[in-house]
Amino acid sequence: MSDHHDSKPTPSRSRIFRGMWSLMEGDRLRYGLALASLLAAAGMLYLVPLVPQAVIDVVLGGEPEKASGLSWQVVDLLGGRERVADALWLPLLLITAIATVAGVFTYGRQRWSAIASQNTARRIRDRLQDRIQRLDMRSYDRLDRGDLLQRCTSDVDTTQVFLSTQVVEVGRAIVMLAVAIPIMFVIDWRMATAAVWLLPLITGFSFFYFKKVRALFKDKDEAEGRLTAAVNDNLVGIRVVRAFNRQDHEIERFRPRNDDHRRLDARLYTVFSTFWSLSDLLCFMQQASVVLVGAWLLADGRILVGEFYFFFAAVGMYLWPVRMAGRIVAEFGKATVAIDRIEEILELPVETEVESEPERIPDDGSISFRGIGFAHTPDQPVLDGIDLEIADGETVAIVGPSGCGKSTLVQLLLRFYEPDTGHVEIGGVDIRTLDRHDLRTRVATVLQQPFLFSRTIRENILLADPGADHASIEIAAGEACIHDSIQRFDSGYETMVGERGLTLSGGQRQRIAIAQALLQKPSILVLDDALSAVDTGTERSILEAIRSRRGRHTTVVIAHRLSTLREADRIVVMSGGRIEASGTHAELRDRPGLYRRLWDIQSSLEADDDRPLRRGEEASS
Amino acid sequence: MSEGMFEEEDFTPRQVDWRLWRRILGHLKPHPRAVITMTGCGAILAGVEVCLPLVTARIIDAASGLDGRERASEIPGWGMLYGVMLAIFALLVLLFIRAAGTLATGVAFDLRNGCFRRLQALPFGFFDVRSTGWLVARVTSDVTKVTGLLPWLLLDVFWGTSMLVGILIAMFSVEPGLGLAVSIIVPPLALSTWWFKRRMLLSSRRMRRANSRLTAAYNETIAGVRTTRMLAREEDAAAEFHEISGEMRSWSVRNALQSAVYLPIVMSLGSIGVGLALWAGGVRVQESTGLTLGTLIAFMQYAMLFSQPIQELAQRFVDLQNAQAAAERVQELLDEAPAIRDSEEVLAAIERQAATPVEGRAPDGGDPEIDTVRFDGVGHWYVEGERVLEDVSFELRPGTTLALVGHTGSGKTTIAGLLARWYEPTEGRILVDGVEYRERGLDWWQSRFGVVQQVPHLFTGTIRDNVRYGRLDATDDEVRQVLQRVHALDFVERLEAPDGGDLDFQVGEGGERLSIGQRQLISLARAFLADPPIFIMDEATSSVDAETEASIQDAVESILADRISVVIAHRLSTIRRADQILLLDRGRVVERGSHEELMAIDGRYRRLYLDQFVDEEERRLLS
Repeated sequence: MSDHHDSKPTPSRSRIFRGMWSLMEGDRLRYGLALASLLAAAGMLYLVPLVPQAVIDVVLGGEPEKASGLSWQVVDLLGGRERVADALWLPLLLITAIATVAGVFTYGRQRWSAIASQNTARRIRDRLQDRIQRLDMRSYDRLDRGDLLQRCTSDVDTTQVFLSTQVVEVGRAIVMLAVAIPIMFVIDWRMATAAVWLLPLITGFSFFYFKKVRALFKDKDEAEGRLTAAVNDNLVGIRVVRAFNRQDHEIERFRPRNDDHRRLDARLYTVFSTFWSLSDLLCFMQQASVVLVGAWLLADGRILVGEFYFFFAAVGMYLWPVRMAGRIVAEFGKATVAIDRIEEILELPVETEVESEPERIPDDGSISFRGIGFAHTPDQPVLDGIDLEIADGETVAIVGPSGCGKSTLVQLLLRFYEPDTGHVEIGGVDIRTLDRHDLRTRVATVLQQPFLFSRTIRENILLADPGADHASIEIAAGEACIHDSIQRFDSGYETMVGERGLTLSGGQRQRIAIAQALLQKPSILVLDDALSAVDTGTERSILEAIRSRRGRHTTVVIAHRLSTLREADRIVVMSGGRIEASGTHAELRDRPGLYRRLWDIQSSLEADDDRPLRRGEEASS
Repeated sequence: MSEGMFEEEDFTPRQVDWRLWRRILGHLKPHPRAVITMTGCGAILAGVEVCLPLVTARIIDAASGLDGRERASEIPGWGMLYGVMLAIFALLVLLFIRAAGTLATGVAFDLRNGCFRRLQALPFGFFDVRSTGWLVARVTSDVTKVTGLLPWLLLDVFWGTSMLVGILIAMFSVEPGLGLAVSIIVPPLALSTWWFKRRMLLSSRRMRRANSRLTAAYNETIAGVRTTRMLAREEDAAAEFHEISGEMRSWSVRNALQSAVYLPIVMSLGSIGVGLALWAGGVRVQESTGLTLGTLIAFMQYAMLFSQPIQELAQRFVDLQNAQAAAERVQELLDEAPAIRDSEEVLAAIERQAATPVEGRAPDGGDPEIDTVRFDGVGHWYVEGERVLEDVSFELRPGTTLALVGHTGSGKTTIAGLLARWYEPTEGRILVDGVEYRERGLDWWQSRFGVVQQVPHLFTGTIRDNVRYGRLDATDDEVRQVLQRVHALDFVERLEAPDGGDLDFQVGEGGERLSIGQRQLISLARAFLADPPIFIMDEATSSVDAETEASIQDAVESILADRISVVIAHRLSTIRRADQILLLDRGRVVERGSHEELMAIDGRYRRLYLDQFVDEEERRLLS
């Protein structure tokens, strides 16, 4: 079933089977039971037309002596010819009984295959989710998020349909045939031949037809993509359209895309019409050959009416599944590609655990960066020999042009990445010997664009400390200067945020994330440009609140504004992956360099005007 | 999948809204031939299928000679008929699938054009509360959902009912008693189908809901990777996810189990029908009532034939319910009346001017020149009770620039939107040379504007396409000239790509292949090319580098010299140069005057200005 899908290399077949086999773990018995039920149900189903065959040939027909042994056996089972002739409701009972048992097996087949395949799908989903959240960050950064989401959703769906429906359908076709062929050949080899000779052609036709037309599906999907893009382009730019009064022009431009899509979509219908009608014709020929050969043999007296009926009924039972099987097999390629894409994610490296027993995290919140070098790609160093000591309880501000490596430094502290050279210590302990969870619980970090989950504000803040009571949430929110804003929302702390909730401004999101970090009661607090969307007045209040908690945690603030930097005990100026200068506000102000230039902006205003500058005090609205 | 106030799909089952579907079926009108083919094929197909068992019966009887006469000679005749019927069947399949294609794609084409056309006419208020993704889905997937269903609905309603009626007629006309015996299975068949399909409809909805929760959960996992780790809650997150994947699993299993019960029931009922035919027919054969074995077998076939049309009809009914939400949304969009449009009087004036053009008049019959535009006590709300603008008055004249200054949400953008009549004021008046602007033609008024937006949007296409959007018939020379004026020609001429450089450079979706600063220059060029008498500019602070900014400043100034211009100002240079500055706060004008006047007051403007000064300088230093 290997398959060349688009430009992707053929997935390794053994890898797919190994992957499949391991994913089926825990439900292999159910898959087995489903297969057994499938066999049993198929066997029972063919018994149904055997009953009318027997009754017609032995009881109703004019030549009971010519009836086959099989027919006699069925009639004897019901109590013999005379008995059945007197009580024609007996066959009805037998048929009902057989149909019921067949029904039970069919139910079992569907039940077990559904449960097993859904369990497998759930297992794949859970594994993917867990794998993603534990991925090594370098691997994660390289992934395309849209593509990753697709692997988690539609590729899993494809796999699930493959396991629950496609495999079963193909299996059903095979089993139906495998059961029917021996019975048919036992009854009459000529009829049996007439009933199967076209099957290879029917399956082959479906198989090759769908292989061949697959490119057309892709064309249509692409046209659909272009159509969607056209609508999207127009709607995103609707203000520009209106600004230039170009509505008619847009309608004219949309038309050909719409028409293109229609044409390709209609072509698919044409393709289908050819397939279904030709394939129907082939199937009908198979049926007609049974009828005509049957009529000829019947007229010659070589078979009986009942046997004719059996063949006619049997063909009707396996013909359509066999036809579908060809098409499904042609589409197996999709499933193997999907499974391969899932396997690719499941095989990506995850964050490594500490090998030996992890060290206990020290209470001391001092940080040492020792000779840190780091590069995402070998030729572009991001950090180049960083040595930085931060004392317990100290507030350090880091400033520098964008791309100087500030944020990377913070991410190394959290062990999102491992430095290429050097190491980081907290309280004198190499963080590589700490448990990642412990480390990250002690180091609370707020990013410039914090992520909020789709839940209420209260629940989001609570994530930092699930056991916290409401009073401490409100205190943290108060310190982050967001309490009042939250109170103004209609549902207050119960307001839903995130993708399905209220859209918050960047500043509001940042402040909620700060409240979350404060609730975590960390020994180290890192604000990675986390006040950029907050106005200066509010920024000052937040920093003051954090300062008043001083002694409780070491604080590292990455900032752009002088007003923020000034609040720190020490300022570190970074540039090009190195530390350019470090010192207090007073020290750096008097030295030439970036910090001095920042200071000059402010002082130029003050020189320009001796009225004190009270910046942005009412801006917090 | 993006979610928002209008996003949550409604998963609750509803009654089939026949009035809605009648309107949807109305869209089939332009395709009468395909409709006739569809329905005709459905009926003829049913006829063929009903007759086939009877023909088979004749063949069997002729071949077996059981009725005592030697009729083997009839076999070729009946066989021929049998073959012809099968060929007709295959031909009908070919025809109706093609007709289905014409219908599905034709109606989809019409609906999409209709929706798109409607979207071009709807006011911004409509777009403000709906996300782009949501609207795109209306035009694409919703239309597909509805139109994909229509042909099969037509076919199966005609085919299915014809089948049911046909089988009954055939059975009762051949052998009423036997027919009655076999049709006993129809009521339980119909009842169980109805019962199970309803339940499966419900569970499949719960399944879809669980699926959308699953997608949302993955989305969060992927987007929140860092946050989850920072909070060290991977295990809790995995446990929560396990719940959601479990919900998906149980509803999927439930849905599968329902069908696992239903299908055996249908098959068993068919088999029972065969048994019933055998019993009632066998008795008649024994009594030599003239019932042949062939006919008996035909009845056994009829017993098996009943389930298919019943199942298909039920399925279409389920499809109707499933597609109803999509149908509603598409029809609503088509029905949405633009809230901002020309009044009857204005339409009449436009018609008069078109019929008997008066020299020197605008298309709406008014004065084509604009000397003053006046806001007179203008107030506005988007949602009733939530006022965003209150009592704003000012006057605009050619050659003057009005700068709007204030924090986000202070009402600057609303003023611009009202001026362009993208929204209409809920209080006060906007006067064009003393005439309320609603008494002028919407089309004429809106063609008077050039708008440059803060986040410039470029359309997918070439640089040339994008600049020419300002004036569709501009030549390449004119395009280059205007690019030169905004100092963009240098970078444009340096653009290279395998699929074409220079003016042929493909800017990508939304202009993504250009920097934001470059996009701003292109959008400026686009607006300059349009050469409108009124300019609205929404500035960005930091996207064009300082050097370029200084050089385009002159260009902008020369262009604005004799025009009315309104600038939502962020850059200090722009603010300083404006003739009039309005400082807005929560929808009110709190300070107004020239830069010098406002600095002298030492009020909010001064503080805002100095903040902005520090901000710009810090940004410049750290970029």
